[in-house]
Amino acid sequence: MQVFLQTIVGGLNLGAVYALVALGFALVYRTMGLVNFAHADVLMIGAYIAATFTVSQHLPFAVAVLASIVITGVIGLFIERFLRPLEGRDFDLMLIGTIGFGIVLESVATLIWGATGEAVPSPVQTRPLVVFGASVPTYDLVVMGVAVVAMLALSLFLERTRRGVAMQAVAMDYDAAKAVGINVGRSNAIAFAIGAGLAALAGALVGPELYVSPTMGGSIGIDGFAAAILGGFGSIPGAVVGALAVGLLNSFSADYFQGYADLATFVLFAVIVMIKPTGLFGEKTVLRA
Amino acid sequence: MIVRPARCIALAGSAVLVLGVLAGCSKPGSSNTASTGSSTGPIKIAVVDAQSGQDSSLGQWEYDGAKLAVSQWNAKGGIDGRQIQLTVFDDKADPTTGTDIASKLASEGFVAMIGTAESGVTAAMEPTLEAAKIPNITSGQSPALTKSGDPYVFLNGPTSVTYDSTLAAYLTGTLHDTKIAMITNNGAYGAGEQSSFLAQLTADGLKPTSNQVVTTTQTDFSSALTAIKQSNPQVVFIGSEEVEAGLIVKQARSLGITVPFAGGAPQGTPVFIDTAGTANVEGTIVSSPYLSNDTSAASKAFAAAYQGAYGSAAELHGAKAYDGTEILLTALKTSGLATGLKLADAIRATQYDGLLGDFRYDKTGVGIFKTSIGIVKNGSLVAVG
Repeated sequence: MQVFLQTIVGGLNLGAVYALVALGFALVYRTMGLVNFAHADVLMIGAYIAATFTVSQHLPFAVAVLASIVITGVIGLFIERFLRPLEGRDFDLMLIGTIGFGIVLESVATLIWGATGEAVPSPVQTRPLVVFGASVPTYDLVVMGVAVVAMLALSLFLERTRRGVAMQAVAMDYDAAKAVGINVGRSNAIAFAIGAGLAALAGALVGPELYVSPTMGGSIGIDGFAAAILGGFGSIPGAVVGALAVGLLNSFSADYFQGYADLATFVLFAVIVMIKPTGLFGEKTVLRA
Repeated sequence: MIVRPARCIALAGSAVLVLGVLAGCSKPGSSNTASTGSSTGPIKIAVVDAQSGQDSSLGQWEYDGAKLAVSQWNAKGGIDGRQIQLTVFDDKADPTTGTDIASKLASEGFVAMIGTAESGVTAAMEPTLEAAKIPNITSGQSPALTKSGDPYVFLNGPTSVTYDSTLAAYLTGTLHDTKIAMITNNGAYGAGEQSSFLAQLTADGLKPTSNQVVTTTQTDFSSALTAIKQSNPQVVFIGSEEVEAGLIVKQARSLGITVPFAGGAPQGTPVFIDTAGTANVEGTIVSSPYLSNDTSAASKAFAAAYQGAYGSAAELHGAKAYDGTEILLTALKTSGLATGLKLADAIRATQYDGLLGDFRYDKTGVGIFKTSIGIVKNGSLVAVG
């Protein structure tokens, strides 16, 4: 029973981080119909910036996280501006462009911070809470709380603001949105900036739980991408549910299959996607891609 | 542009493939000279180690250790008047990249290779290096490396069996621990540790209270650690590389596991200690052939030279690579710059009293058969007793 509860706690904590990653993937896909393959590397940059500000500049963790979101948001804007001439012309090149940016970001991180990486001390040093025998680290609660707030804020932005609704309109019908005067370029830029900010938030939060290095984005990015697909690519609630599912799937398969956990996770993932190719919350609003 | 979702998924798939191919391409080394293993020009030696990725700190230490030995030899005039040229290749701790590099070494006239730091990568490179007759002094320690009968592979330290038999003897004999839990990963290093330590326990008539295997990319160890906690051990054996082991110990402490951890070389490194946090690793029991820089006059001189060259403190992996490189250069000198099997035989015949101990190679390519026990105190490793 204790193992079961502890596995759930571990899975939910992973799930919260995957959710932030999946939301970024989903938002950019929803708005532009583009899979941003630089996303995981933006996460890594976010983790490094937050780590640098807390470890060497001794700034409070919250300030470091905000700084990291702002700086990576600017990187997101830069990537979008660079890809903009291709928007509506060559989708394949845009996709490859994002892969290229990912490689560039990884190399830049190696140049600035070196290849070896850095351990980040946990910003919350209080003792873990004990719930029904399962130990819940307080920092995990912070991560989950921040993830929930970010999801709610993103949903409110998309549903309740003019800009958010306009972004959705672009996603549903590019030409019609353009015809009624929506600035498509700006809409895409905002999607990229918010997506990058979410990746940075995920990176900054996960830094103290893991080890920050130029290649850290790899496996988190794949799990976050899997979460977005499982939830139904482009769906915001789907990204969250998919992320929790992938997080729990990861930690339970680690429990039952030990060394074969990755294999078990992705076989199960493949089966679910075969049964339901559009994912759990799959919609058909995005046709531009 | 209107594209159907199916096409998008196909595109995404092909993009992933492109990414994989790009990741597989290695940087073609920094060597650009055309000299070969002929009788003029510099003597070409390759260092193959991870220079990027999670194991890159290992790769950096190894490269620094090898570079220090080579620069000392070059400063004394090289070998027979020829300078030694060291070229580093980044294997990314990836066996596929490793085999690619092995073919490159064969075609570019390298006489010998130092590295890699990962048994899995070395095992993948071995067949190519054997075919090309390139002797290889590796930092890997998996017993599997020495079983192939390959005359070209040498270890610059003890095998996992030596590390783990010393550790098991200390835990069961000196500390009288009978309840020992195990957590290892399923990579080449972790699997080697798992089988050698388990064999030692079984030989002592013990059974682990819990025997958990994790993957090399895992980041959440809740279920494995909770199972270990419930088995109520006196000590937990850990068989995993620096960063993952650090994360395991950090999470174990937050789950309320208070007993000490015990392990091999990775558990004595600064990366392990920083990742886990100094307070969390206090009392960790480490089996290592190189506990500190203060054990002998030779290690003090090495540590001073290392500090002078790189501005950081020397540790085990740098020392291993330094010893391995010294042995190779000594063999090149005594054999009159031989290559191929002659060089391999010269390495085997070299008796070298180094930083890790007195190397006397056997026919399997192992030269050191002893480790010592140290304890982590206030963030650094100190010898027991």
